[in-house]
Amino acid sequence: MRRFFLKLFRRSAMQQQIEAELAFHRDMAARHDNAIPLGNTAVIGEYGYDLWRFTFLENLWRDLVYGARGLRRSPVLVLTALLSLGLGIGVNAAMFSLGVEFLFSEPSVRDAGSLVSVQLGGNSNSPAQVADFLRSSGLFADVTGEDEEAVTNFNDGDVTRPVFSVYTAKNYFTMLGVPMLHGRGILIDDPNEVAVLSYAFWQKQFGSDPAAVGRTLNLNGRMCTVVGILPEHHRTLIGFGYSPDVFLPQYLETTTLALYARLKPGMSIPAARVGLAAVARRMDAEMPAHYKYADAVRVSPIAGFARLQSESEMLAVGVFFALLLAVTGLVLLIACVNVASLLLARASSRRREIATRLALGASRGRLLQQLLAESLLLSLLGAAMGVALAEATAVLLARVHLPMPIPIRLQIEPDWRLAIYAAVLTTFAALACGLLPAWQSMKQSLIQDLRRESRMRLRRTLVAAQIAVSVIVLTTGFLFLRNLLDSTAISPGFDVLHTVRANVNMPPVGYADPAKKDEYIHRVVDSLAALPGVESAAAARVVPFNGGERFMVGIVFADNREQRHAFFFWNGVTPGYFHTMGIPLLQGRTFSAADHGEKVVIVNRAFVAHYLGNRRPVGTVFLWGADGKTPYRIIGVAEGTKTLTIGEEPQPQLYEPLAQIVNDRQGIEFVMRSAIPPALQLETVRRTLHKIEPMAGAQVNTMYSSIGLAFLPSQVGALLMGSTGLLGLLLATIGLYGVMAYSVARRTREIGVRIAIGASRAAIARMVLRDSALVTIAGTAIGLAVALFVTKPLAMFLVPGLKPADPLNFAAVALAMLLTGLAATLGPVRRAVNIDPNATLRDE
Amino acid sequence: MGKSTQPTLLQGTLDLLILHALQRGAMHGYAVAQTIHLLSDEVLKVEEGSLYPALWRLELDGAITSKSGLSENNRKAKFYQITRHGRKLVAEQEATWSRLSAAVGRVLGG
Repeated sequence: MRRFFLKLFRRSAMQQQIEAELAFHRDMAARHDNAIPLGNTAVIGEYGYDLWRFTFLENLWRDLVYGARGLRRSPVLVLTALLSLGLGIGVNAAMFSLGVEFLFSEPSVRDAGSLVSVQLGGNSNSPAQVADFLRSSGLFADVTGEDEEAVTNFNDGDVTRPVFSVYTAKNYFTMLGVPMLHGRGILIDDPNEVAVLSYAFWQKQFGSDPAAVGRTLNLNGRMCTVVGILPEHHRTLIGFGYSPDVFLPQYLETTTLALYARLKPGMSIPAARVGLAAVARRMDAEMPAHYKYADAVRVSPIAGFARLQSESEMLAVGVFFALLLAVTGLVLLIACVNVASLLLARASSRRREIATRLALGASRGRLLQQLLAESLLLSLLGAAMGVALAEATAVLLARVHLPMPIPIRLQIEPDWRLAIYAAVLTTFAALACGLLPAWQSMKQSLIQDLRRESRMRLRRTLVAAQIAVSVIVLTTGFLFLRNLLDSTAISPGFDVLHTVRANVNMPPVGYADPAKKDEYIHRVVDSLAALPGVESAAAARVVPFNGGERFMVGIVFADNREQRHAFFFWNGVTPGYFHTMGIPLLQGRTFSAADHGEKVVIVNRAFVAHYLGNRRPVGTVFLWGADGKTPYRIIGVAEGTKTLTIGEEPQPQLYEPLAQIVNDRQGIEFVMRSAIPPALQLETVRRTLHKIEPMAGAQVNTMYSSIGLAFLPSQVGALLMGSTGLLGLLLATIGLYGVMAYSVARRTREIGVRIAIGASRAAIARMVLRDSALVTIAGTAIGLAVALFVTKPLAMFLVPGLKPADPLNFAAVALAMLLTGLAATLGPVRRAVNIDPNATLRDE
Repeated sequence: MGKSTQPTLLQGTLDLLILHALQRGAMHGYAVAQTIHLLSDEVLKVEEGSLYPALWRLELDGAITSKSGLSENNRKAKFYQITRHGRKLVAEQEATWSRLSAAVGRVLGG
């Protein structure tokens, strides 16, 4: 350290000092009759300078300057290299940023590390009283809650439309410490009629006017005062870029909240879990519900790596991104091989220079350093271009409104993680591009005989390897494209082509009473069914792929008192639901208006298989309900439907008649079966709904477009992997073209002689083509063999029925590769065929 | 060339000699060489080519510091001065050296 600073601050004066000191010594020696013999002062001086220099860094700088000068003379090489490396590093940086945002982004709150998500009784949401109970228990520093997936009817004075919103406990903003752009968060003493707006909603509705704070909005028929605006880069607790439009205080008794707690300083998560279990048991004793709070207690971190470990669904996303990074890493490798191949060609022209340097006594390490500086320069420029490219893409993506049913805005910004990743990539690229050519050119300067033939062979091997790698990348891309095609062809278990879906949000004013809701629902179902062209209509709490209510409860069979823990998706539907949705009933009957008194349910095939054992399903009675003693009779068995993702196997499902349950939700789904194309019904349905209740917000879509979310994972997968695969293919094409073009240029004389002594043009073309085909086929064969193994783990992302080792997929990849190889060779072939023998011989 | 009667310095002893000489006070490079020459009864001659690199190295290591001053004949010269760290080094190396020379003496004398 001391040395470092001495060197840093005193080096500039050193040169003169050293010379003066040595001169003084010589004078003194002369005066004393040369008592001390003189050495070689030049050498001593050199030694002195070296002591005072940062030799390595200064050499590096000189090498970089030298490299830059050399590269300026070969603009084509630089352009190709920068394009390859820029694209390669760019795609890596982009996917990395995306992955980091998805997996590791922290919500915009104070000290996210001490926040945990709390779940009781296996439920994602709990009533507000539970939050109060937890807070007063003193286990946590504070507790708050939000209903994160709520919808509010927003009336802009003209039309009513549903907006995504979050209902919060009133201490939400203060407890979390959410930073605000304008105004303030909701405070505990605020009335219920206040709202905080998202940046995007503020921009759209108020044109980014700061004076919006204090204005009022008609939300759910109540005039709410805007108290604050969130910053543009606000990240919600859910993450994944979910950005709802408005935040409101929870004002309905029935709203249930996802709970968040702040740990007391020093409290670990396991300790919190133990404490929470004790509190939950007390809760079960003091305020019993229809489930046991203490049954499945969860305390999980909300951010960072810890969240990844605690949530299995996050793990799949993590694996996907790891895979994506591996594939983009391979693309970068292809790009590096391109550059290596170019540098290798260049090395032959530098043979003499390197031989001279070696002869003059340059150490091999020093020479290697010089040669690597060149590739470092290229990778630095490539990285700069790549990161710029990635950022431009991210900015562009952020502007584009994603065609999704829920508002997603990813906040991708360059940060230190990206900087580190880019630095690692650059170093890797510099070594991958430079090491082989540098080593080769040094070796060959010593062994002159091997020269060109072996270098050409090396380049061919490199290209074959490159093709092999692109086959792997392409196979992955093709697999995800196939997955997309196959998943759209999969039946979700209900009719999506002839159905219309209307998601209606009843205004809480006037519809708080469940009886009022039921009455409204009946009226709508009847009116919709009466529309011309509508075969039947029904209502349901949820439709598949738009969320599901999952229950984990204990049920007891009435026949032998057997107790089972059942885990199923629960839905409440009107009798016409199964017919309207085209869900086949396998046994028994559907609900009827006459189902009074006795509670009845319809279950699906998976429920029967999982829980009923050998019982005859229809007629089986089990005990369940808030008290655990109400008998429920199974009256029918339906075919299963997919609920969350298109690729899944149907999970156990249980339907109750809508009339049999307490309708505590403002939202309701209507489905219609249409005899005419469903798109033509949308306007009529909207008008009908508006006529019945103008204050209700409604979203009316064909079923096909409204389940779009279900295809999102396969679409995103296909988009990312497919474009990466294409990029890999493009880069490999450039590589093959470069090698073939170089090979033809090198053999110009030979080909000229062949033509002069009578070889036909066809024979020449065949010769070049054979050359390229050899490389392409060898590379493809190796690539396919490797891909067969490495794509195996992809099965977890693919729809059932599609296997990674799909022969059709491999055939398509091989064909694409061979065609690309042919295309890359056409230019060089044309040049070879057009070689003028006279000109070449004259050069001789 | 005749056989040299000039004993060459053992590796590493030059540093010790320089530091030892500098314990007598600050002096310039030529004086260091002279001091060593005189103290060894004109047996040891330190060449410029070893002296200055050794001085610079010791300075970078922090065993000595330098400042410019006027020589006895009123010329500007670089004067070297031993530091606390340098004095510690001398003490250590002198102990090592005397152990070593005693051992060598015993081997040759025995």
